[in-house]
Amino acid sequence: MGRTAFCFPGQLQERPTLEDHHPLREDSHFKEWVAKAYHQTKFNLLNFSFEEESEDQFNLKLQISTYLLSMVFFYRLRSAGWVPDFLAEHSMGIYAALAASEAISFEDGLFITESIGRLLEREGSLRRGAMASIIGLSLEEVQKICRQLDGYHLFIANYNGSMHYVLSGEEEGVDKAVSLALSRKAISATRLAFNTALHSSSFLSLREEILNLLKDIKFRAPKFPVINHWTVQPLKREEIKDFLSQEIGRPVYWVRCVEKLIQKGVNQFVEVGYESTLTKLIRWINREADAFSTGDHLQR
Amino acid sequence: MVEPNDHLIEKIKYLIIQRLKLVEMTPEMIETEAPLFGEGLGLDSIDALELVLGLEKEFGVVIPDAEVGKKVFQSVRTMAQFVLEQQGKV
Repeated sequence: MGRTAFCFPGQLQERPTLEDHHPLREDSHFKEWVAKAYHQTKFNLLNFSFEEESEDQFNLKLQISTYLLSMVFFYRLRSAGWVPDFLAEHSMGIYAALAASEAISFEDGLFITESIGRLLEREGSLRRGAMASIIGLSLEEVQKICRQLDGYHLFIANYNGSMHYVLSGEEEGVDKAVSLALSRKAISATRLAFNTALHSSSFLSLREEILNLLKDIKFRAPKFPVINHWTVQPLKREEIKDFLSQEIGRPVYWVRCVEKLIQKGVNQFVEVGYESTLTKLIRWINREADAFSTGDHLQR
Repeated sequence: MVEPNDHLIEKIKYLIIQRLKLVEMTPEMIETEAPLFGEGLGLDSIDALELVLGLEKEFGVVIPDAEVGKKVFQSVRTMAQFVLEQQGKV
């Protein structure tokens, strides 16, 4: 009998389309959690806006939307009787993964998502950065591009697959990296929605500030093991704070995480979110694994 | 312009379904002329990488870069045309 991993994706790249006839709108979990989130943050997922908006804050809104949708899909799965053996997460998917594992409450997960999102908005206006997805080049080729553009502080932010990497760094450098990647026969090289160099070491400077944000949060032992993609071991309760304080300043090792889960007997991966990015990455890492996304399933 | 026959069109549709693990789809559900990306079949750049690999394995044809990929992956018909053109060069 195989094992099941629930996988929590990172930030959406586009506003989720939840038009009037969307099936989620009738879902009781959706109604409940969207209302709770509005009460706490004044963010309305249905029209993708805060009650009062002075500036765009596009990425912050995407981050809260991602968290909320993952939690709604998680509660739907649990109501339908699904029990995960492991939880995995990609980038800012950690907040929903921790709430799903009951290491933190839904409200605390939302608070962390919003607080770190606001920190990133601030950083984006102070020291603008960018990110880009490079598909179809090997790790060596991507590393070579980073070395060639030394001075722009480019980092490999995500190790998503043997031919799929995300770069992070100064905006001009990221644009140059996109052009270079295309000239070196990448199948695709495109800028992502971010206005910061997320997962680059420059964000380790926010560590103390993040620890301060987390000081009143009560962390419990995760009810379902949450895989730490740096060590590929389950996160222990006492490690969570430190993980969160460094998470945005260190890369995401997704390949390593999926490979470890397969070693542990996982043969079913459920992407707990609105899109199917992780599902496609898992398909690339191991074609034998059964992977699907709750978002796709809903629309079928 | 070489025109692919129905057999090749069908094979390309199978390739798309198999490579992208579109388990609930059948070749009849994929329109030959419809866009593969965005509004059409809704594929993205991660899917493109799978299709590049699939075309190479199944037909021995290589998509050299993003520019060619953009032209080839417009529809099932353009994929089939590319296969015919490349095989004709051998």
